[in-house]
Amino acid sequence: MEKRNKMIKELSVIVGLSVMAGFSINYFSPNGISYIGSWDTASGVITAKAKNDAVVREREIMDVKTVKQIFDADKTVFIDARPYKEYEESHIKGAVSFPPAQFDERIEAFLLNYSPSISIITYCSGRECRDSHELAQMLIDSGFSETRVFIDGYPLWEKEGYPVE
Amino acid sequence: MNKMIPALVWNPRLQLFFRLVLGITFIYASIHKIIYPGKFAQIIYGYGLFPSELINITAIFLPFLELFSGLFLVIGIYKDSAALIINIMLTVFIAAISINLIRGHEFDCGCFSAEITGYEVSSVHLLLRDIIFLFMGVHLFITESKSNDD
Repeated sequence: MEKRNKMIKELSVIVGLSVMAGFSINYFSPNGISYIGSWDTASGVITAKAKNDAVVREREIMDVKTVKQIFDADKTVFIDARPYKEYEESHIKGAVSFPPAQFDERIEAFLLNYSPSISIITYCSGRECRDSHELAQMLIDSGFSETRVFIDGYPLWEKEGYPVE
Repeated sequence: MNKMIPALVWNPRLQLFFRLVLGITFIYASIHKIIYPGKFAQIIYGYGLFPSELINITAIFLPFLELFSGLFLVIGIYKDSAALIINIMLTVFIAAISINLIRGHEFDCGCFSAEITGYEVSSVHLLLRDIIFLFMGVHLFITESKSNDD
C-alpha cells in the first residue's frame, strides 16, 4: 500500500510538472498554439492555429469554379508549392514551380521576373497541405500583396478535368 | 548457466545502460516537438486516430511528459515511475503505428522531429524499434521496482 502511494505521488509529480511546463511554455512561446485547432477540412486548410500561423482564412479560395474563372481571365500567375518532382509530373497549365523550402534561393530570380503588383494564386495538394499558405505568407512578406490560396489544389483541379500540363 | 541468466537480468550496469538509452532517446525526441508544437499537432492529426478536440492539448503536453520522464530516468530519481510512463507512451505509439499499418494509412511518425518528412521511414522499422524500447522499459520497471522493495 505504501509502495502504491509512493508511486502515485511520483507519477503525479511527473505529470504535474509536464502539464505546468507544457502550458506555461506554450503560452510564452512565439510558436505557441491554441488549445483547440482547426482540423476540419470543411473549414479550409487544417491548422493548429499557432501564434505565427501562415494559414489565413481570408486568403483562401474554396470554390474550384471561382479559381477556373480566374484562370480563364488569364491575369493571374498560378504558383505550385508542391515539391518539384510532383510539379514535373503534372501541374496546372502555365503554373510556376516554387516550393516554399527553396524560397530563399529563388526569391531574387522571382522578383526579377514578376512585379509585386501582380495577382498570384498558390496551390499544393489539398486541404491537408499547408505549403500553399506558407508560400503565400512568404510572398506577401516580399511585397506580393495580391496573393491568395487555392485550397483544394492540384488534385481537385485535375479531377475536374481542367487544363494541366 | 541457470544462475548466469538472473545475474545478467539483474545486472546494475544493464539497468544503467537501459536507463540512459531510453532517457536520452526520450529527451532528444521531445526537443523538436517542444519548439514546434504546431508541426507536432499536424503529425498527431496525420495518424487519423485522435479526436480533433484533443490534438492540440496532446501536442502541448506530451513532449514535456517525454522530456521529464527521460530526464528523471537519466538523473536517477523516480526511476520506476518514469519507466512506467515511458512504457505507457510506447504502448500507445505501438498501438497507433500497428492500427495504421493494418489499415494501410500513410502517416509521419514524428518520432524525432516535428518536421513533416513524408512516409520515409518504414512503419515496420518504427514498430520494431518501439518494441525494443518497450522491452527495455519493462525490464527497467520490473528491476527498479524490485530494487526499491529490497
